[in-house]
Amino acid sequence: MNHLESTLSWFTLGFVSILCGFVFKSRVYKLLPFFAAYSYELLVSTIVVWATYEHAGFDSLTSYYVYWASILINAAVRSLVIVELCRYGLRAYRGIWALVWRLLAVLSIVLILRAVMDAWGQPDKIAIYGATLDRDLALASIVILASLLIIRNYYGLDLEPLQKAIAFGICFFSAVDVIGNSILRSLYKGYLFNWFVADQNALWPALKTELTFVNDLWSTVHLFSFMFAIGVWCYALRKPLPAPAEAPVLLPAEVYRELSPEINLRLATYNNRLVELLKP
Amino acid sequence: MTNPNLVKNLAETLTGVLGWFLVSRDKSSSTAEPSSLSPLCEALPSAKHYVYFPQVRQALSAADTNYLMERAPAQVAILALRERRAVVRQFLKGLREDFSNLSRMGRIIASMSPEVSRQQETERLMLGLKFQILYVFVQLRLFSGSLPIEHLEHLTGLVGRLATRMDAAMAKISALSAGQIPGNVGA
Repeated sequence: MNHLESTLSWFTLGFVSILCGFVFKSRVYKLLPFFAAYSYELLVSTIVVWATYEHAGFDSLTSYYVYWASILINAAVRSLVIVELCRYGLRAYRGIWALVWRLLAVLSIVLILRAVMDAWGQPDKIAIYGATLDRDLALASIVILASLLIIRNYYGLDLEPLQKAIAFGICFFSAVDVIGNSILRSLYKGYLFNWFVADQNALWPALKTELTFVNDLWSTVHLFSFMFAIGVWCYALRKPLPAPAEAPVLLPAEVYRELSPEINLRLATYNNRLVELLKP
Repeated sequence: MTNPNLVKNLAETLTGVLGWFLVSRDKSSSTAEPSSLSPLCEALPSAKHYVYFPQVRQALSAADTNYLMERAPAQVAILALRERRAVVRQFLKGLREDFSNLSRMGRIIASMSPEVSRQQETERLMLGLKFQILYVFVQLRLFSGSLPIEHLEHLTGLVGRLATRMDAAMAKISALSAGQIPGNVGA
């Protein structure tokens, strides 16, 4: 581990610790238990990875496996946070929720299946698997969060500032991960591929410098984006959390049943008239 | 009627029509009283713009066009025709506002309903997309000068009838949900 990586690891540990402090102080676990769990999981995983680097050595096989395992565990827990954001506040609007959760569930299943199938087709190397899965899961996170925000905006149901900040943070470092992992994967599968092939060990000394440079660069970008996201979350948590919103009182079901077809009919008539206008 | 008078009258008419649009928008935003029904009231599809159609039609009538072309100097006539197109564009914008208010009301009712039909929601989404596309085409035709102004009358007649019916519908909702609508839909 070089000086830069060591410094970044310390900074990451510091940022994650501050986040956990805010989460504990604001009692976020009462409002968003999965986000609280994610924060603590990040702290544990950062400590475990750092401790592994210290004890087993940065370039050891153990560190390699522990690093990629922590990346995938983080992605899995992050998925739970996204599920929580989807449910938050929207569940009280029973009609919309019944429609939206199915849509988001189908979208999630499709994206996760795509991620698995994409990883399945890769050469049998954990780094390539990891980069592919992490990239596709990050992409899935962005797509699902964007869909959620579009749906909420469409129905005029805004997210609260903390939830918005969490969604923005996840989207930001997921976007960086998508770009970074795409480049990393193409390099692993391209001219660095011989590094993963035992028969090509004669080339390893020549590739080691290149590989170290690529990994260092990617780690730096990844950690900076990650710390930026944590900074956004800490900023959102600086104030005490507002009281949970009261559940909305819904209209009688017959209002929708009566008015919705009527409104659609009228909207269709508008369109028909516009079509008439366009006729020569 | 002399040319300067003609130009003056035209200018006054157009200013009046444009003023009406602006005032009607200001009124719509400033006279809304906050109440527990505000989310629904804000979305009231009151179709504000159609009521000014007689003035718009007067300003855009074929007789006026012919008179203008015959009597006014060419430059003045061209300027006046351009201004008339601008008025119609404003009017179309108003119609789009009415459409989006109606659509928004549909979405608010859906969000406040315990049951929602997937078919209805999909249909409304598609109608909104279709309207946006058609609106762009109408704008393009208007911009190119190939849209007969008289056709707009059919559209505005529709909007007027719609306003009456939807206002009645909203009164019904208000009666059904008296005291039940939260102040903030986006909870």
